[in-house]
Amino acid sequence: MRLMPQAAKLPAASPVEIAVDFDSSIQSLGALDAAAYRLIGAATCRIDRVGDRYVCRLAPSSNPKRGAAFNPDDMKERFLNLVVDENLRARVAEKTEGVRNVILALAFGSLAATQKDAG
Amino acid sequence: MARFLAPEAFSAATEDLSLLPFNLERTGTNQYLVANMVGDFIRLTEDEMNRLIDLRIKPGDGLYEKAYAGHLITGTNQKAQRQLLAARLRSRMSFLQQVTPLHIFVVTLRCEHSCPYCQVSRRSVDRERFDMSEDTAIRALRIAFAAPTPTIKIEFQGGEPLLNFPLIRQIVEAARRDAPDGKKLEFVIASNLALLTDEVLDFCRVNSILLSTSLDGPGDLHNRNRPRPGGNSHQLAVEGIRRAQTALGRDRVGALMTTTEASLNRVENIIDEYLRLDLDGIFLRPLSPYGFCCQDQAI
Repeated sequence: MRLMPQAAKLPAASPVEIAVDFDSSIQSLGALDAAAYRLIGAATCRIDRVGDRYVCRLAPSSNPKRGAAFNPDDMKERFLNLVVDENLRARVAEKTEGVRNVILALAFGSLAATQKDAG
Repeated sequence: MARFLAPEAFSAATEDLSLLPFNLERTGTNQYLVANMVGDFIRLTEDEMNRLIDLRIKPGDGLYEKAYAGHLITGTNQKAQRQLLAARLRSRMSFLQQVTPLHIFVVTLRCEHSCPYCQVSRRSVDRERFDMSEDTAIRALRIAFAAPTPTIKIEFQGGEPLLNFPLIRQIVEAARRDAPDGKKLEFVIASNLALLTDEVLDFCRVNSILLSTSLDGPGDLHNRNRPRPGGNSHQLAVEGIRRAQTALGRDRVGALMTTTEASLNRVENIIDEYLRLDLDGIFLRPLSPYGFCCQDQAI
């Protein structure tokens, strides 16, 4: 088993921990990392690679921000929603990368030329 | 007999559409806030979001019109919308071409208040460690002078900057003395006014220094948010505002309020307090996620 870098540290003895696993051939690690990051303050998430699965071990934060305490079911649902949203963002980014570059070039390309002329 | 084609025949083909870049944020179980490249936003349901991303939309279905108006889709060969977004993006980001005229001098991290929402992680002791040195101040002033803007605004912050008023005096005098020809100088002291003295007011008047202070609302709310020894932060702030208005002019002192949970149902009280003090504007400052603010769970 190859351990992936931790997205967040797991408390030594967490009272409640649940695991959610994903098929690594269809789920990107980047989206899981981003979802784990968004959980900070409410829960921790450690991501391990086990065979062809990414296993995300979720535990409520020992010192949650007010109003952010989770029960296990809520924590799992929140994490899955976050992963869905990250996957959506990745799809949008992938589909729009070309036009995004065109718009950025239209917006700022002339400035680069001006800077070059001045330099 | 000739017949009209069905309405669908006149619609733009879906394959001619393409997505434009956007950001999304889930705001509820079935709701997304979707913002285009220049920050215009609309709300979409989860189903609408999926239809949009898959471009399963067509004229007349409502979502097509919403997405088009929101600059979330465009015709693949349509240049105008890309050019429009580019022009708006260039305008929106034009501030990046300007060097900032604002230079903030944190002359001390010390403060006699202990506000739980403090963004600075104030210190109460050790002048040596937590006050800006004269050497640092003069070097910072040189950096400010290097800015190619015709006007430089120097704002003194803390901690409570009046705890290091001698350095403020030195910086203002050095700036007046050493500023490059033609460079216009503006000064602001951001202070809780608890330590305001006639000496400070005289100096502000002579050097056209603006005062910016904190007023979170009526006494109970303000003192709850902004504790200090004696529990009289509000009283001192109000006295300071009035003295400054008299000594410097009504428009030479302004106030802002920091919004906490306790403020949310006190809107009218807060506005009344500002009106009572003849302050003609309220700047709503959200909590800044820095310093002590990050550590406190109850604000």
